[in-house]
Amino acid sequence: MTDAPQADAPAPRWPDGWALPVIASPATTAPTRRALLARLDATPPAAPRFFSADAFETFQAACARLVPATGLAAPVDVAWAIDARLAAGTGDGWRYATLPPDGEAFRLGVAGLDAAAEAAHAERFCDLSGAQQDALLHDAQHARGPFAAALPAGFDAAHWFADWLAEAAGLFYAHPLAQQDIGYAGFADAGPTDGAPGAPGWTRIGLDEREDREPEPLIP
Amino acid sequence: MTETFDAVVIGTGAGGAPLLARLAAAGLHVVALEAGTLWDPAADFATDELDQDNLFWTDERISAGADALAFGANNSGIGVGGSTLHYTAYTPRPQPDDFRLADEFGVGVDWPFGYAELEPYYDEAEAFMGVSGPSPYPWGPPRKAGYPLPPLPLNAAAQLMQRGAAAVGIKTSPAANAALSGRYYQAGVGWRAACTNRGFCQAGCSTGAKASMDVTYIPLARSHGAEVRPECFVTEITRDSAGRATGVVYVHDGAETRLAAGAVFLCAGSVETPRLLLLNGIGGPHVGRHLTAHPGLQIWGRFDEATRPFKGIPGGLISEDTHRPADADFAGGYLLQSIGVMPVTYARQVARGRGLWGEALRDHMRGYGHVAGINILGDCLPTDTNRLVLSDELDARGLPKPHVTFEAGDNERRMTAHADRVMRQIWDAAGARDVWAFPRHAHVIGTARMGADRDASVVDPDGRVWDTPGLVVCDNSVFPSALPVNPALTIVAVALRTADRFLARARG
Repeated sequence: MTDAPQADAPAPRWPDGWALPVIASPATTAPTRRALLARLDATPPAAPRFFSADAFETFQAACARLVPATGLAAPVDVAWAIDARLAAGTGDGWRYATLPPDGEAFRLGVAGLDAAAEAAHAERFCDLSGAQQDALLHDAQHARGPFAAALPAGFDAAHWFADWLAEAAGLFYAHPLAQQDIGYAGFADAGPTDGAPGAPGWTRIGLDEREDREPEPLIP
Repeated sequence: MTETFDAVVIGTGAGGAPLLARLAAAGLHVVALEAGTLWDPAADFATDELDQDNLFWTDERISAGADALAFGANNSGIGVGGSTLHYTAYTPRPQPDDFRLADEFGVGVDWPFGYAELEPYYDEAEAFMGVSGPSPYPWGPPRKAGYPLPPLPLNAAAQLMQRGAAAVGIKTSPAANAALSGRYYQAGVGWRAACTNRGFCQAGCSTGAKASMDVTYIPLARSHGAEVRPECFVTEITRDSAGRATGVVYVHDGAETRLAAGAVFLCAGSVETPRLLLLNGIGGPHVGRHLTAHPGLQIWGRFDEATRPFKGIPGGLISEDTHRPADADFAGGYLLQSIGVMPVTYARQVARGRGLWGEALRDHMRGYGHVAGINILGDCLPTDTNRLVLSDELDARGLPKPHVTFEAGDNERRMTAHADRVMRQIWDAAGARDVWAFPRHAHVIGTARMGADRDASVVDPDGRVWDTPGLVVCDNSVFPSALPVNPALTIVAVALRTADRFLARARG
């Protein structure tokens, strides 16, 4: 927030389809492959377990703006994982004292998005255009505008948003398709022998050093 | 009938494990109780950040104050091995002047003993764990022996920091890391394989090259007959009518068990240790107070060259030229460290630190393979207002959640501003673009501090709780000051000393 992105360095792009064969290869250990494929193959439940059906529609639409799955081979939808966590009542080990417990914070925050959509556009959040949704999410991020007005006094909206965004970003980049999109091959750290003792791991670790199983960037 | 031990040790991290091994080696009948699981690294440790979340203590902690501390992944561990399961193995020693900040600057507090007292234990711990590092070490007093293994190879971030620092006249060196640059043998443990540069050191090491306690002091302790009981959560320190500790009560699988012990060693870390003391009304008015946390500002940048920041030991390079900077407007100092990062951690930090989302986040993350970071590890002055108390909220175990308040003081703010300038100079000289800062604090320290004055501390210089004979605290709760280095190595050294002091007294 203090360091705005600079536009002078275009981000590299990575080829499609390189990651799955590497995950399937002996370069990825069995426990690692298991974790990644479970995430890749996960199917959402029939209905949300924490949010109401209506609130989940809003939450899902908002998550899709925070971490859009644009251009990925399959949708990566982090809303289900957060819903499941909130239903289980688990967390990441801490929360800001200025926020209520996670479940209550998310209920309030998501209700705030719908209330802000109603106040600004007389529609539900999930029925707004992407640009309209983004404007309300920026309000939420900075705890201002109709979003802030819709929340109880003292609710620390900026920290709630930061917590949510960090969780969504983490879940998104844990997904093999998102990892493929950024050229991350770190899961393939066993070398060719599936982690057996003496496995080479990574040997080309310096600047501009690439091993054969890592993707080559496409020059834009 | 109640089982009886010579000593019961609560916690198996950098405090509990070496102490357990030392007591067992002396022939004591000892048991360690660990709240978490005993893992099988090769089978259980995926190279996957979410899958490794089970190494973090995730019972909720409530974090207050202007610089509210992150817990969970930031600074807590659970499982046999404690936080060392996911420490990055960065093991610099403090320098002698760090132990006497009050004497040097007139602020903070001095330790009741100094570097010389711990030096033999540093030597011993580094040799046992197989620390890889440069010999001779470029800063601090000369060492009796060099590191047992040469440094690990430098990754891209280390090479970039080397380049940038050289350009601005800052000396650097390959860092000391408790991960093996070569195959290594220790009696009581056996052979451990060399590091394969997986770079995933902020999680479990699947090869055993990283010197977490589960592959070093725990097997040593077991070789001497110690017992380790996983998934045992201690809820009570029992006392007799005279106030002497007599044992513990722990919960395993929902059932309570009572153990009797000649001595109880509390090594549960700087949050759970004071929490258990407060729950039991033990330790006096200083429990939870004087909490410190290391200033840990990170500076990230993007480079034209590929960095692939998931490879190699994350903290490959160090500089201690900022230990006592000539232009400092603060007491104490800090070290500089190159850092690697895994993608989920980096994405979360970009989200929190820059607030990027949507296509801006996606674009930024496509440059992940070109980013590199530097961070500091700085000293922190204790204050009475930074503290841990019990909240009114209960957790899933039915116990009050810890409530921690932290605000960096003027000294930490001035130090961080200095470090921000220095690190940006280094990164600019190294060719970084899109440079950004991620402010953070790492490690919670000092919630049951030791001292020679019982009216100003919780434990005496040997870790003995002033108001409860038979109870000893042994983890970084006892540190009177933060020390400008990552704490694990010093916790191990203090643990070995604490054990020796206990044994010497027991022998009369």
